[in-house]
Amino acid sequence: MTDYFLLFPVLLVIALSFFVIVAGLFIKQKRALGYVAIAGLLAAFLITLSDVNANASLFYNSIVVDPFVQFFNLLFLMVSLLVCIASLEYYRNNPNQDEYYALLLLATAGMMFVSLSNDLIILFVGFELVSLPTYILAGFDKRNPHSMEASLKYFIIGALSSAILLFGISFIFGITGTTNLETILKQSHVLASSPIAPLAMILILVGFGFKMALVPFHMWAPDTYEGAPSVVSAFLAAGSKTVAFVAAFRVFLIALIAIKLEWYIAFAILAVITMSVGNVIAIAQRSVKRMLAYSSIAHAGYVIIAFVVIARSADTAQYALAGGILHALSHAIGKAGAFIVTAFVGYMIMKNGGKDSGGDSIDDYDGLGKRAPVTALLMTILLFSLAGIPPTFGFYTKFVLFLSAIQGGLLWLAIIAVLNSALSVYYYAKVVMRIYWGEPKGEKIIEPTGYVLAALLAVIAIIVLGVYPEPLYKLAMNAAEALMH
Amino acid sequence: MVGYISSIFAILFIGAIVTFLTKTREQARMVAVLTSWTTLIIAILMLFEYRALGGIENFTEIYKWIPSIGVTYHVAVDGLSLPMVLLTTIICALCTIYAWEEKHRSNQFFALILFIEFALIGVFVSLDFFLFFIFWEFVLIPMFFFIGVWGGPKKDYAAIKFLVYTHISSVVMLLGIFSIYYFNIKAGNPATFDIPTLLSAYPALPLTDFWRNFIFAALLFGFLVKMPAVPFHTWLPDAHVEAPTIGSILLAGVLLKMGGYGLFRFLIPMIPNAADFFVYVIALFAIVSILYAPFAAFMQPDIKKLIAFSSIGHMGFISLGVAASIAGGGETPRIFAASGAMFQLFAHGVITAVLFGSAGIIEHHTGTRIIQNLGGLAKKMPKFAFLMIIGFLASIGFPGTVAFIAEFSILAGSFPQMPFFVVLALISIPITVLYHLWAIQRAMLGPYNESIGKVHDAAWYELTALAVWVAIIFALGLYPAPIFEMTHTAAANLIDVLPKGGIG
Repeated sequence: MTDYFLLFPVLLVIALSFFVIVAGLFIKQKRALGYVAIAGLLAAFLITLSDVNANASLFYNSIVVDPFVQFFNLLFLMVSLLVCIASLEYYRNNPNQDEYYALLLLATAGMMFVSLSNDLIILFVGFELVSLPTYILAGFDKRNPHSMEASLKYFIIGALSSAILLFGISFIFGITGTTNLETILKQSHVLASSPIAPLAMILILVGFGFKMALVPFHMWAPDTYEGAPSVVSAFLAAGSKTVAFVAAFRVFLIALIAIKLEWYIAFAILAVITMSVGNVIAIAQRSVKRMLAYSSIAHAGYVIIAFVVIARSADTAQYALAGGILHALSHAIGKAGAFIVTAFVGYMIMKNGGKDSGGDSIDDYDGLGKRAPVTALLMTILLFSLAGIPPTFGFYTKFVLFLSAIQGGLLWLAIIAVLNSALSVYYYAKVVMRIYWGEPKGEKIIEPTGYVLAALLAVIAIIVLGVYPEPLYKLAMNAAEALMH
Repeated sequence: MVGYISSIFAILFIGAIVTFLTKTREQARMVAVLTSWTTLIIAILMLFEYRALGGIENFTEIYKWIPSIGVTYHVAVDGLSLPMVLLTTIICALCTIYAWEEKHRSNQFFALILFIEFALIGVFVSLDFFLFFIFWEFVLIPMFFFIGVWGGPKKDYAAIKFLVYTHISSVVMLLGIFSIYYFNIKAGNPATFDIPTLLSAYPALPLTDFWRNFIFAALLFGFLVKMPAVPFHTWLPDAHVEAPTIGSILLAGVLLKMGGYGLFRFLIPMIPNAADFFVYVIALFAIVSILYAPFAAFMQPDIKKLIAFSSIGHMGFISLGVAASIAGGGETPRIFAASGAMFQLFAHGVITAVLFGSAGIIEHHTGTRIIQNLGGLAKKMPKFAFLMIIGFLASIGFPGTVAFIAEFSILAGSFPQMPFFVVLALISIPITVLYHLWAIQRAMLGPYNESIGKVHDAAWYELTALAVWVAIIFALGLYPAPIFEMTHTAAANLIDVLPKGGIG
């Protein structure tokens, strides 16, 4: 019975969402609802943190709570928290902000459901619970045509990918007669001997590929991240993308482990092209949000190295999975922080009398070091973390991940990955150059607390975890062990 | 009880942050000078204590850091790293004097000097690969900002080329480190990044030839790019030309030494397990650098670029010493070559500081660095000319200066093992003399070039920094024992772990 209390955080988030939308009808000071959301998320975060080593199976084994689940729930709650703090500033005077917070909370609950699910149907429903609110959120600046374009593209591709995913799931159900991941695992022999299993695997992979924005299923991501409101881009890049990683880890490493030789090759090819294409195209971008979108694609390429290593070498699987989830975390923190800074730059441009470009063009970053010194420093650290320069958390996670590739005997993959990572320094450093030695195009401005606080929290996490990663590494190893049994 | 090394870290880190937060130039330079000179005093105390103890490795501090993957905070100094720590503290302490009147964003400028000092000392004292790599990479960031914020007209290009080029070399090196770590675990040893443990376990690891050569080549590439050896040197002239004077002094004076230091610290102990031909690979890189750099320097119109190329040539001598210390031959010359090369790391660091300092003074007072537009500066700037000419003579390897001791030991120690390479290296010496003297003749001597306009002698802070460096050049040139004894012991210990009679 007490096991059901483990679901308290996710239920709290859902309840909060309903509360916010109902309370929004009655109160004038809608900004207060943002604080309510933040308080609720913080409470959910702390409760989850206190049960981080929980182990339970609920509702006829269709929902599980284990360190792996808790790790990612903490990640989602943290991302949501950062985005909410920044949104206090971003949507300060928006009359519809109650709906915004409600949708954000609902999507967060969906993310948590995906990681809790031990059943393909719950996983799919959780996915939809993430997707539907985020389609709306991407178009939340409804008078901005870019935002509408982002939303529409995201919706069409998202619906398509959901359909493909569901199609794949239906094949799995057809082969094994069940949707429960662990029962599928018990039917491994059926799966391994079925001629349709590879087809089902490919359909599921393509479905997840769209959601993770792997090349060649990535086309929607740059347009969506660029057009969506910056705080929503932060949520999409840090949260929604990670949901796809969680789901893929669960489905491929538990249910489809029997046919790992088939997906090993698929993931190896996808990893190489995803990181290479992402990095090369990111170099050419003049829009910072697009650059961050492509860098996000490249980071997805790094994370799926974990799948390749796991399929290749059973001894290294735990290290690789720990590396993969740690890197997903460092990417989420870095990307959330970086997009929040773009939100700030958009605000700065608007304050200067310019059009709100959403902090988009790299030219807007000229002299940021003089105009907003604190934000500039935070952005620099965030970008260096994404680039993997020590002593940031981004360096540490790449270190663990690429080390696991060598340990798995995949030297070629490690070489491609580190060269890609080295190349990526170029486009991050280019932004840093603009920040510190571009000519400022305006006066020094007062930096709003909301943005600074959100970015600062991300930077503190990056530095503390980068300098002392030991506790988190243990947590990630526990999480990996929980998933792999 | 906090050890010497940790207290240096703490002082520099806090000093750098305080400097960054100061509001005026006076405050910034005051904090920076205090911090860097305190560090220098601690380093000198370490030197005395080290000599009194007469040990091999001292001031060791080991703390657990990330035990799950075997990372420790392991720092110590030995006869190889203590001269490097001294060099770093001397150069940085005088840089804070040299930069006395820096006007542009002075708090950030002084803070960066302290940050880079922090990182450089970290590189030289770390005995854990993880820690070492963090410092190794962290060095790039302050230098990136030095070039970028205070650099010349093409600074964007130079800064990013420097960052990406050297970063690529670092990550390739990291792959080599990963491989050592992995095979150490595979052999049944506990996971560790501890450098002495890994190096002593290395010969017994179950490595195929491919992996041995891969690991060696990956580390070698990382170090050669940093040195830099021709043909991996192309980032260096660009970086130097655009970097501010302090940036150049630090870059050539200390940053390049990281590559040479790495060769001694990691590569030589690993050589018995790599293929024999690597001795000749290193020697070849050395000789190409030694021969190519003087010719390239000859053709440079810009005095700073000339000095940059002279650095590449002098760093080639270090690679030659490394190759000679592992090549087949008697113990004595090999120790002599290694010790000379270690001494050269120190010697060239001080000399190049004088040279780049001089180039900076010329640019500061005349507004140009193009040798053709100068002429007869000695008449107008006598004190400066005196110091600069001594610096140039030292760079040639004039007897009585540190460079003579260093290069003489390298060449004498290398001759028995690889006479052919030494003869080739000797060819470079007259050319080196020639381009140094020719540059002096055109820039400093002869009739004064009136088109420069009115010039004054260098300012007191510039002259002080130069004078102290020149004094060190002479003092250690005439009595090299304080440093040379240390490098000699370190070299003897190093050769001791190699197979008798050398390789190849």
